[in-house]
Amino acid sequence: MKARNVFLTGVGGHGVLAVSRVIADAALAAGFDVRRSEVHGMSQRGGSVVSQVRYGTSVHSPLIPRGGADILVSLELLEAVRHLGALRRDGVLLANEQRITPAPLGGLTVEYPEDPRGLCEARVERAIFLPAVDLAQALGNEKAANMVMLGAFSVLEPEIPEHMWLTTIAGAFRPRFREINVAAFGCGREIAAASPVVKVQP
Amino acid sequence: MTDAQRTRKLLTGNEAIAEGARAAGALFASAYPGTPSTEILESIARRGDVRVQWAPNEKVAYEVACGVSLGGGRALCSMKHVGVNVAADPFFSSSYSGINGGLILVSADDPAMHSSQNEQDNRHLARAAKVALLEPSDSQEALDFVALGFEISERFDTPVMLRVTTRICHSMSPVEIDLSAPYAPVLRGGYQRNFRKNVLLPANARHRHESVEERLSLLEEFGERERALNRIEWGDRTIGVVTSGVAYQYVREVLPDASILKLGLTNPLPRELIREFAGGVNELYVVEELDPFLEEQVRALGLHPVGKEIFPITGELDPDRVARGFGLEAAGSGVEPIETALPPRPPVLCAGCGHRGVFYTLSRMGVAVTGDIGCYTLGALPPLEAMDACLCMGASVGMAQGMEIALRAGGDDRPVVGVIGDSTFVHSGITGLVNAVYNGGAGTTLLLDNGTTAMTGHQDHPGTGLTAEGDSTISLDYVAVCRAVGVRRVREVDPYDLEALEAAIREELAAGEPSVIVCRAVCRLVDRTPIASPAELEIECPGCGTCFELGCPALDGSSGQAVIDPSVCCGCALCVQLCPFCGLRIHGHGAAALESAP
Repeated sequence: MKARNVFLTGVGGHGVLAVSRVIADAALAAGFDVRRSEVHGMSQRGGSVVSQVRYGTSVHSPLIPRGGADILVSLELLEAVRHLGALRRDGVLLANEQRITPAPLGGLTVEYPEDPRGLCEARVERAIFLPAVDLAQALGNEKAANMVMLGAFSVLEPEIPEHMWLTTIAGAFRPRFREINVAAFGCGREIAAASPVVKVQP
Repeated sequence: MTDAQRTRKLLTGNEAIAEGARAAGALFASAYPGTPSTEILESIARRGDVRVQWAPNEKVAYEVACGVSLGGGRALCSMKHVGVNVAADPFFSSSYSGINGGLILVSADDPAMHSSQNEQDNRHLARAAKVALLEPSDSQEALDFVALGFEISERFDTPVMLRVTTRICHSMSPVEIDLSAPYAPVLRGGYQRNFRKNVLLPANARHRHESVEERLSLLEEFGERERALNRIEWGDRTIGVVTSGVAYQYVREVLPDASILKLGLTNPLPRELIREFAGGVNELYVVEELDPFLEEQVRALGLHPVGKEIFPITGELDPDRVARGFGLEAAGSGVEPIETALPPRPPVLCAGCGHRGVFYTLSRMGVAVTGDIGCYTLGALPPLEAMDACLCMGASVGMAQGMEIALRAGGDDRPVVGVIGDSTFVHSGITGLVNAVYNGGAGTTLLLDNGTTAMTGHQDHPGTGLTAEGDSTISLDYVAVCRAVGVRRVREVDPYDLEALEAAIREELAAGEPSVIVCRAVCRLVDRTPIASPAELEIECPGCGTCFELGCPALDGSSGQAVIDPSVCCGCALCVQLCPFCGLRIHGHGAAALESAP
């Protein structure tokens, strides 16, 4: 398989890195060569977080060429807008509808884009927006929003079977979070599977 | 090892180095935390068998490793690139004495400065120190090169620098590994004193320098033949690329058919192999991150490679930059990015961070502030903007003294304050304080003690009372240390009490002799227990903006009025103390304590 390029973004504390780790591990379990990179540093202090996963028969670079991502997963709308340029013109945007206003710099008016979703839709051919936080909350823990997004992502990747995702999730988290994570994954998977965007996927 | 025991696992470069050290029987590992190197020691510690130590600084870390090596054990010492500057003294001389047990210094360089103050290329240091230099290009090599590094170290009697970069340290790639293999430390028993080799008196060292030069020749010969390290991958011979480290991966990605000379042992360079490769291709290129380290040495062979004229010398490489250099279009045809300015999301001091009150106070006192390396460097950013300089670990204390000399000479009587964190103070702030006392300085040092090495992800240090192995230990007493070096004015102040803090700083600045104010508040990411109930707004906020000056992420001022996010606020009450309308209050938990405060 030609290298699949997945660009993930969000805000510190979102669980972006956990999602990218599960994708990378599941891809490895499916027999692919894998590269995954992340930017550490001060992510716990409210900064943007970016991680990239690449997998396929043979991959070399841990970084995706600009405009080369097949799928852009964003756990926050402003970060989706910020990183749109990472996505291929015919790529898929998968965005959580959550908005997190950046920390105020001395009360300077921080102009969060009025219609981030509209900005994305105007530029991206295929996009799925999910209220992942609400969905996770309904399942009992809003922190599992990242697993809702992972579930949605899994539908876009026919090369990795469902049981492999579930095994990887089971191995990735502490047992007491397993149930909620698996439920959140299933929820995201179900909703994305019903999305018209997915149906146009060859 | 049977194939059944081996598993294929994704590891970061740092985790791979850790596993490599364990698998190669390292007896000991030491480090001072620094991005992107920190997780190497943490990963070794997690396994619980190799002896591990956080050292107060990189020099000490390397010296202890040298002692382990002298005693016959294999030792690995890891640090970020600028840490090697601190360890340079023992590192350069250890090249002369050589080793007994294998000795590896891991230098984790940070091209693009994701979390650093410069992007020095430490391959120069390995060359200057005349030691073997290894550059892995993925996690498998990171793991393999540790074992190879120990073997090279012991076979050629040299310390080895394993040089990695952020994209190696923090990227994951598959590694073949037997995680269940038992740990078996390699020891060269029967230690024997060797005066001529290990006591670097001038007469001995002159003799040792000759051994160093001989060693380089032998290492070069070794590098000519060792295909696990240096190899030619013949492809299309129109283009030939000499490369090393992560740059190799970008070249493979961008030019899958080109011929490549992949170098893993980059000091000393295999000159014959380079000549052979150059002779077999039409056009010769060198692709490397940062400095033209390989390129200049290739040129010195009389060859004419293309390198830094088409590839950037600053920042890190990536597939796009490599493709552009070769005149190729970037692979993807991407979505048009948004042109309008988007609100940035820079890192900020956490809600309730004990550093915030200190910088807020300093920003209003008309003082010059020399800062240091840590989370508190964020105090230099708006809205606090309370830092004039930040140079390197420990520099704040010495720079404050020097700046005072120059300001006074120019008739400027602005006070100068040095601000330093607890881990940084232990790293290299204490000697600056000794200097201040000895040379009659008069400045005030603020020691911001948050009880951890916060910036790099909360590692213990000599002041926290815990070791890297998780054992409790004697905790450094900062007040006693300051007094012991001769500072007579040492006091502790609650950094959440703005009035007391300002009064203390004013008093100490007026004292005319060196002073230290210890501001103690545990990092909010270590102890997340709320200090008090969240602040509440009790009046219609007139929007004067005073509290916005704190730059607190729990306080949103985008509507013009203060809005407190109770899920973020932890009740530090700085805003309560500042509101000129007394419109902010804390009720419930912690309220009584605040009422009784002066």
